[in-house]
Amino acid sequence: MIRTLNIAFIALTGLVCLGLYHIAEEARVTSADLRTTERSIQFESDAITVLGAEWAKVTQPARIQALASRHLDLSDAPAVELSSLTQLPPKNPPLVPEGAFRNANTVVPAPQAVPTPAETPTDAVFAALKTGT
Amino acid sequence: MEARPAAQALVRGRIVLAAFLCAACFALVSARLVEVMVFADPAAISSLAERARASRADLVDRNGVLIARDLPVSDLYASPAAFWDIGEAARQLSEITGADEARLKSTFAAKRNYVLVQRGLTPDKRDAAMRLGLPGLSFEEDHKRYYPSGRIVSHAVGQVDADDKGVSGLELGLDERIQKGGGAPVALSFDMRVQYVLEHEIAEAAKEFQTKAAGGIVLNIHTGEVMALASLPDYEPNLRTLEPGDSTRNRMTQDVYELGSIFKIFAFAEALEEKTITLDEPIPVGKPLRLGRFQIHDFEKHGEDISAAMVFAESSNIGTAQIALRSGPRRQQPFLQSLGLFEALKTELPEMASPLTPRRWEMVEAVTISYGHGISVNPLGFAAAAASIVNGGTRVHPTFLKQDTPQQGTRVISEETSRTMRELLRLVVTDGTGTKADAPGYRVGGKTGTAEKPSNGSYSRHQLISSFVGVFPIDDPQYLVFVMMDEPRGNKSSFGFATGGWTAAPAAGRIIARVAPLLGVKRSEIEINDTIAAANP
Repeated sequence: MIRTLNIAFIALTGLVCLGLYHIAEEARVTSADLRTTERSIQFESDAITVLGAEWAKVTQPARIQALASRHLDLSDAPAVELSSLTQLPPKNPPLVPEGAFRNANTVVPAPQAVPTPAETPTDAVFAALKTGT
Repeated sequence: MEARPAAQALVRGRIVLAAFLCAACFALVSARLVEVMVFADPAAISSLAERARASRADLVDRNGVLIARDLPVSDLYASPAAFWDIGEAARQLSEITGADEARLKSTFAAKRNYVLVQRGLTPDKRDAAMRLGLPGLSFEEDHKRYYPSGRIVSHAVGQVDADDKGVSGLELGLDERIQKGGGAPVALSFDMRVQYVLEHEIAEAAKEFQTKAAGGIVLNIHTGEVMALASLPDYEPNLRTLEPGDSTRNRMTQDVYELGSIFKIFAFAEALEEKTITLDEPIPVGKPLRLGRFQIHDFEKHGEDISAAMVFAESSNIGTAQIALRSGPRRQQPFLQSLGLFEALKTELPEMASPLTPRRWEMVEAVTISYGHGISVNPLGFAAAAASIVNGGTRVHPTFLKQDTPQQGTRVISEETSRTMRELLRLVVTDGTGTKADAPGYRVGGKTGTAEKPSNGSYSRHQLISSFVGVFPIDDPQYLVFVMMDEPRGNKSSFGFATGGWTAAPAAGRIIARVAPLLGVKRSEIEINDTIAAANP
């Protein structure tokens, strides 16, 4: 009985040793992989750091302004030539009520009298804005 | 037969001992496993985290735009003895690193053990050098502080030394936070778009009027955040050396000036607070004011009597002096002190000059100080005091760190006085000396200043400090713009004048027109329509 147990324990110990060796080997390989990956991350991280700085350099306003003045046919607009959304003319009302299209028997009514864009006070402002001073 | 139980006991004892040893070994392995898997900090194991902690944190502006960053660089060393062909190695290394080939050849031939090939290699160059496959190359990891914006904001941000420690500017003032903040970026109060506009317009104006120096500040009057700060001449921080004409002196904080008539803001704020004037009362300004052996003049004639409001708008020294006399030195002194004009500002920026105040403060001093002579302050200190007057009347402390909430400063003047002062500042721009600072739609209010510089015990009439302080939008003020020019020269466009209204005010107007949309300030459509109507009669 004791002999059987001894053999069993020795076998178990042997298996445990093998298992331990296997785990140790796996840990070594994983550790090597980790170092490689870390080196790779480090390289990419360094590259990102440098690229971030390069991006900040090439997008700085002084450079953009120099490029724009060299390559684009733009000029600084005086403030009075700028406008805001609230100064845009209202959207023209539809000539035909929306529901009328669904009714095949409907005859298209005569267009409603709507002020032409130039007649509305907001449009006059907008026109003046476009012409500028 | 008696020895058998004893032998059995011995074997049993050995088995127990072996079992105990095995159990102890397994317990140790288990304990280590638990420690590694449960308690160990993965970041502590990673070399990446160590590298991140070793470098200085990024400096970014309020919108996250990069201002300063530590770049990973490497110093490349070589052991020439390991090279097969010294000439070929020198050629290849020179090609990749930019090092002088002749120098490399001669140092390699000298048979030294260890030769520096090139400092500060970027990661791609380092990689390229490694790919050469040359034996005997070694790299030493390092950092180099890089400022992508170059000269822009150089004075405020400052520099680091060779050991990556802050030596000036915010690099020094925030050194501990930058080094020990765990690598998290430090968000400054600057807006790099506004900073660029300020620098650009100040540089243009400085060129136009051939100034000795110039500078400007954009300040949020509620949070105290310095949105932009420019001082010319400036310098290129990436060069680590000064070029001819460059200066590391931050004139907005390191220098003190007698700022002239922009100080009238404080004289009028005090008079309104103490109710010693009403804005429509006539003040005689027709003749110079005699005060003991001194005589006070105006830059130009304003007629006999003008209202107190127009004394401010037309910047009359004679009128302001009379108003200052009503309050007197005993009340003027604590009032200016309450605005922080007697002490050096305490900000994150270490380079901060202390104001110069008169030793004796009598009637004559009270009068000259009312129009900005006899007291010298640094421009940022002045801007903070002026912001306290127009922001509703509470003290503002400038800061170079991004803030989320307005400051709750101590009250220095009433809200009513602050509102009246804003109206007066608007009057200066619509009907006074600051008309050239107007930016249509942005309701600019401001005050011009022209001070003669002290020279050989008196004041020089041809060496001026010309300035303008503007606030916008005046009906709900958010930002203050200060522009200063040191010894501007009048030109054809200014009809030979070098005063604040002709030199600094137009620059301030252009700055406001450009930065207001960036800062989200809405234009007044009523004012725009009025401008359009006036332009298209």
